[in-house]
Amino acid sequence: MPPAAPAAQTDDMTQDLETGARRVDAGRLAWLESELVSWHAAGVVDDRQAQAIRGRYVAVRRFSLARLLLLLGGGFVGVGLLWLVASNLDELPPLLRFLAVTALWLGFVATAELLTKRRARLVVGALRLMASLAFGAVVFQAAQSLQVPAYEPGLVGVWGLGALLYAYAVAGVAPLLVGVTTTTVWFVWTVFDTAEDGMGFVLPVLLAAVVAGAVSVVHAARVRPAFAAPWRDTSALMALLGLFVAAFPYVDAEGFIWSVPLSLGVLGALTAVATAVVLAPRARPEALVPLSTVVAGVLLVLWEPPEPVLGAVSGEGYAHAFVSVAVYVVAAGWYAVLGVLRDSSRLTYLATAALVLFTTVQSFAVFAPIVTGATLFLVLGVIFLGSGLLFDRGRRHLTANLGGATA
Amino acid sequence: MNPLASRPGRVVAACLVQLALVPLAVSGPLSARLTGEEYLLEVAPLDPIDPFRGAYVALDYPGLPSSQELTERRDPTGEVAYVPLEAAGDVWVGRTPVAERPSSGPFLKCEDEQWRLRCGIDSWFLPQEEAYAMEHAVGQGGAVARVRIDSRGNAALVGVELRDDT
Repeated sequence: MPPAAPAAQTDDMTQDLETGARRVDAGRLAWLESELVSWHAAGVVDDRQAQAIRGRYVAVRRFSLARLLLLLGGGFVGVGLLWLVASNLDELPPLLRFLAVTALWLGFVATAELLTKRRARLVVGALRLMASLAFGAVVFQAAQSLQVPAYEPGLVGVWGLGALLYAYAVAGVAPLLVGVTTTTVWFVWTVFDTAEDGMGFVLPVLLAAVVAGAVSVVHAARVRPAFAAPWRDTSALMALLGLFVAAFPYVDAEGFIWSVPLSLGVLGALTAVATAVVLAPRARPEALVPLSTVVAGVLLVLWEPPEPVLGAVSGEGYAHAFVSVAVYVVAAGWYAVLGVLRDSSRLTYLATAALVLFTTVQSFAVFAPIVTGATLFLVLGVIFLGSGLLFDRGRRHLTANLGGATA
Repeated sequence: MNPLASRPGRVVAACLVQLALVPLAVSGPLSARLTGEEYLLEVAPLDPIDPFRGAYVALDYPGLPSSQELTERRDPTGEVAYVPLEAAGDVWVGRTPVAERPSSGPFLKCEDEQWRLRCGIDSWFLPQEEAYAMEHAVGQGGAVARVRIDSRGNAALVGVELRDDT
């Protein structure tokens, strides 16, 4: 039995205490320790070698309490700052308010940079989150000081652009999340503002999924792989949201108006996909699948089944529901597989949760008019079991094939 | 030496660009405040029941036309409409909105939302206690908005005042 070092639990903030040690997941380190015991018993390694091997690693909990508290704290401070602006800093004149909020923003940026040298990465992450949120407060305070209405999508767009710039300058994931979220909100809001109908929401949401998916592919293959996951998760969320809404039978394109932001969005999406395919040809499916969700979503919105007469759903209505379910199962299955291929359990959980929600809503929408009470739950259960089995089989099949193809 | 090669250099550059984006986001009202001339417009609360949402008042302008009066809409998405202004006593009122930018005279540049025109002067932020007092005063009628308008029709609300005759 080797006198293995205790399983040190640390995080990024304490990494300088273990100079030279590689940081690995706590679970993986526990496996290594059990293997060391086995190797020692079999005489493969002696005590000194076992200790040397164990000493090369230090355990890291991905979701440590410190990380959770710091990120929550950073989020609360940032949101509180935005709220403070929203509720007016009554005691200060407008210019002083703007200068105070700007000073806070720059203070967060500067403190984050100073602490970066001390390698306190978790604290730096929290400060960068606050800085990116505080920049939003600066934008809204400038608008408020000039009596500009706060419900302008352009303000959110400027906030998002600034947060993205900052994220790429510091290579920080927290500001990237703020930037991706706000720019997505800006784009969808801008387009929906012009065409306030179903297509006016579904199309920009799905185009955002295309752009985010293409950007994630380029990151994963070329530069800053750590940025790939936030973009990929956003792409999945937007694609599943867009298809979710498109599947409703009465989401239509009656008031749809083709606007300049939408044209630019289509152009941007096509350019992003072309760039991703050229720069990362092996990840072509990952870049092209969101594009296919745009086609599917648009066709579902354009397909308007007749309204039920006296509660009776028409054959076309059922066909619309079943095609919608099929499209959604395939899309959710793809993202679940992508989660497996990219080692992202978060993405797999997201796809599974989206599928459960979608199936529930669609089942109630389709079957509730003809079956009620206990029967409805039985039907719902059978649908869940059936779609779950199909989903799992499809996922395994695709994982095996794609895993082999990308190996 | 390329200043963007180091992270501090990139952070400074990002902050400078962000700072430059802020005035860009509010360029219209900023230009109106800095270069515009002052006009008085009659003002009323948009919702007489509950005009205040948080610490700002949503304002309506009885002297300005509605979006329905806009004729010859060139762009079906709406976008921009212009409201020429003319003096009516000590305040200014709007004439029929047009799609083309007027060649002269004071005018407002507004967003045509099909059901209303938004000219960037429809919110007035102020402390909560003052908001309640103004809510009452504006609801009684006779309040005017002091608006600065530049040569391109950008407007900025610089004050809401009670007229002497009320």
